[in-house]
Amino acid sequence: MQAGSTAIRFDGVTLGYDRRPAVHHLDGEIPSGSLMAVVGPNGAGKSTLLKGIVGTLKPLDGHIRLDGSSGIAYLPQAAEIDRSFPLSVYDLVAMGLWSRSGLFGGVARRERTRIEQALAAVGLIGFERRPISTLSGGQMQRALFARLLLQDAPVILLDEPFTAIDAKTTADLLDLVRRWHDESRTVVAVLHDLDMVKRTFPQTLLIAREPVAWGETGEVLSAENLLKARRMVEAYDPHADVCHRHVA
Amino acid sequence: MPTRRAAFSLLAGCLALAASSLPAAAQNAQKLKVVATFSILGDMVRNVGGERVEVTTLVGPNGDAHVYSPTPADGRRLTEAGIVFTNGLKFEGWIDRLVKSSGTRAAKIEAAKGVKTLEGEAGGHDHGHGGSDPHAWQSIGNAKIYVANIRDALIAADEAGKATYEANAAAYLGRLDAVEAEIRGLVAGIPADRRRIITSHDAFRYFEEAYGIDFVAPQGVSTESEASAKDVARIIQQIRREKIAAVFVENVSDARLMERIAQETGARIGAKVYSDALSEPGGPAGTYIDMMRHNIRAFSAALSS
Amino acid sequence: MLDLFYTPFSEFEFMQRALVGVIAIALGGGPVGVFLMLRRMSLTGDAMAHAILPGAAIGYLVAGLSLPAMTIGGLFAGVIVAVAAGLVSRFTALKEDASLAAFYLLSLALGVTIVSLRGSNVDLLHVLFGTVLALDDSTLLLLSSISTITVLALALLYRPLVLECVDPVFLRSVSRAGTPTHLIFLGLVVMNLVGGFHALGTLLAVGMMMLPAAASRFWSNDITVMMLLSVAIGIASGLSGLLLSFHAELPAGPAIILSAGAAYVLSLLLGREGGVLWLAWPGKHLEA
Repeated sequence: MQAGSTAIRFDGVTLGYDRRPAVHHLDGEIPSGSLMAVVGPNGAGKSTLLKGIVGTLKPLDGHIRLDGSSGIAYLPQAAEIDRSFPLSVYDLVAMGLWSRSGLFGGVARRERTRIEQALAAVGLIGFERRPISTLSGGQMQRALFARLLLQDAPVILLDEPFTAIDAKTTADLLDLVRRWHDESRTVVAVLHDLDMVKRTFPQTLLIAREPVAWGETGEVLSAENLLKARRMVEAYDPHADVCHRHVA
Repeated sequence: MPTRRAAFSLLAGCLALAASSLPAAAQNAQKLKVVATFSILGDMVRNVGGERVEVTTLVGPNGDAHVYSPTPADGRRLTEAGIVFTNGLKFEGWIDRLVKSSGTRAAKIEAAKGVKTLEGEAGGHDHGHGGSDPHAWQSIGNAKIYVANIRDALIAADEAGKATYEANAAAYLGRLDAVEAEIRGLVAGIPADRRRIITSHDAFRYFEEAYGIDFVAPQGVSTESEASAKDVARIIQQIRREKIAAVFVENVSDARLMERIAQETGARIGAKVYSDALSEPGGPAGTYIDMMRHNIRAFSAALSS
Repeated sequence: MLDLFYTPFSEFEFMQRALVGVIAIALGGGPVGVFLMLRRMSLTGDAMAHAILPGAAIGYLVAGLSLPAMTIGGLFAGVIVAVAAGLVSRFTALKEDASLAAFYLLSLALGVTIVSLRGSNVDLLHVLFGTVLALDDSTLLLLSSISTITVLALALLYRPLVLECVDPVFLRSVSRAGTPTHLIFLGLVVMNLVGGFHALGTLLAVGMMMLPAAASRFWSNDITVMMLLSVAIGIASGLSGLLLSFHAELPAGPAIILSAGAAYVLSLLLGREGGVLWLAWPGKHLEA
């Protein structure tokens, strides 16, 4: 990845469900290697934005362009994982190697070492054989981060990764996030804890269906901007007209 | 004026002529409507009733009256009929309910009335016939009783046709006698120690009683019961032990099972025989007489060779 | 002893064939059943079994009780319903259970109507109940082929299948194999049901798929072990059912399913992983 290149570009992007926009007319770029937080009130379209980047949601309008085909690792909010499925922690984490072994490959010895390293990085050594149904919220999140580690993707998207997670786990996992940043990966995270954002994330996008502010965290998270965002209502208007605003 | 009066009387005369022929035409259009529950019975009723009756059959050719589900159209046919002919002996488990629900005022006649019945097969294959084997028509002697019952019922409903019905019945009975003679002749031609047949539907007990061919079956009297491995094993052992040469399939049960049994024992699979229903009209067993004739010829051919 | 277990099979070829047929069905049906169960799709199996009916019925209408006709017909119908239900649930708001319910009910009614059109109710009975005692060469070949294909396919698709069950969102984000895997899996379900229904009929084919799988759940937490166990239980049920049919004169198909059911109840009570007995008396707790 070249420094200064763009990882993700938005061109007049509108994302939503059933013609109703959750994200309205977003333009901009996320440079590669950035460590960016996405914040905003509830219903602001933050999760929707991530889904659009990953590709699970097609834009209602505009384009989202990704740099090459370098791969994205995505951690959804409250992952829809079937906890009751008889799977061990080891196997769950090993899924991260998917793109390497693909459909049929087994797990080679070299890979086994990497899996162990990932488990060590998140503090889950000794948990390999435990079924995932026995994990606490924090332990599960650690396992999912280990999986992200193994995916080794240049772009990492995290949707509210620390909600309802204990402080120790949060601290440990934030270390990982910083490590990713040091490795020049692009990390975009949806967060609610503004103090954490101010401490850890250099860039922020404040969004309330439409982008309110985007740039240096300190500037973006001014009292004025935050008020403005809060005022933009979660407008679900049953009589809404077709949107005519042009985007250049 | 003479021409006008002539024309007028000519017209009146024509009208009178036309009017007088109306009742006659109406009478021709007024055939006695009857319903027969299944094809074999329907054929007999047609033979006795002739031109004077219009017969509708509920369970058609190749159909299975044991498990038939009547349709609303059948109910309607019942209400339009003057007589409903059933086999009786609880052959048609569904007929009483149909008669009741259709509200028909037709006379309900059991064709098998007066027949000397055989007990239903013992040994666990209870299928709801409640004791008597209903396939009485498989003996010509019983068929003649059927014919007599049919004739009497038709006469009771249509006094005017008495002569026709009696004549038709007498002629039909004569033909039945001829077929019976044929059957006895053919049976006599089969060596006594070979008169044993396996067939998959135990419907030939009256035939067996009348004409001396043994019928052995892998399933019970009704097609509703499913064979157990023991049943099949028994049949195979019996075929092997008694060196039964032929296995017959008829038009109301599972040919695959028969094939398997025949393959395993080396017995010959005989031609298709008909037990509970006629074949389609042009086919080998389109009438009752054809059916009996076809069956005995098939038995005889397989056993004699 | 010998007489009880061995002689029925040594003396009668139809018993040998029935056993081979049942083994083939268990081999394919067991693992498929395990996945169905883990994916909370157990009733899907039942629905699919009914969905097959109109296809088999059309085959029957065209060619009578012919193996190729009814098999192809059944496969078509099953695949169409499976794909339709799968696509509807993937791309519309209606979830799989509802869309499948809608399709299979339609299918079943259609099937019964079609078979009734041709007249004989007996054949309908055989379509519904099957004849495990009358398996000819071509049917046996069909059953073995189906189980072979199933085993191979499951071996190949194991990882995407597991992923699809556990974390479909993740799978979708790293690969496009999700939807095809799901559809191929449904195809396997249909194939095994079509095979099963020739021997056991529509109603019981599902039994051989679901009961051994459900029983195996109570003995292990490992998917591979579950699959092996379900095959073993299936074969044992087949054996037991055939012997019951032979010695106690029960109809064969239902006897096999009853045996499988008994295995399920036993597992439910005694199984090491969550069996009732262990839940009621768990023993002293461990150190860690």
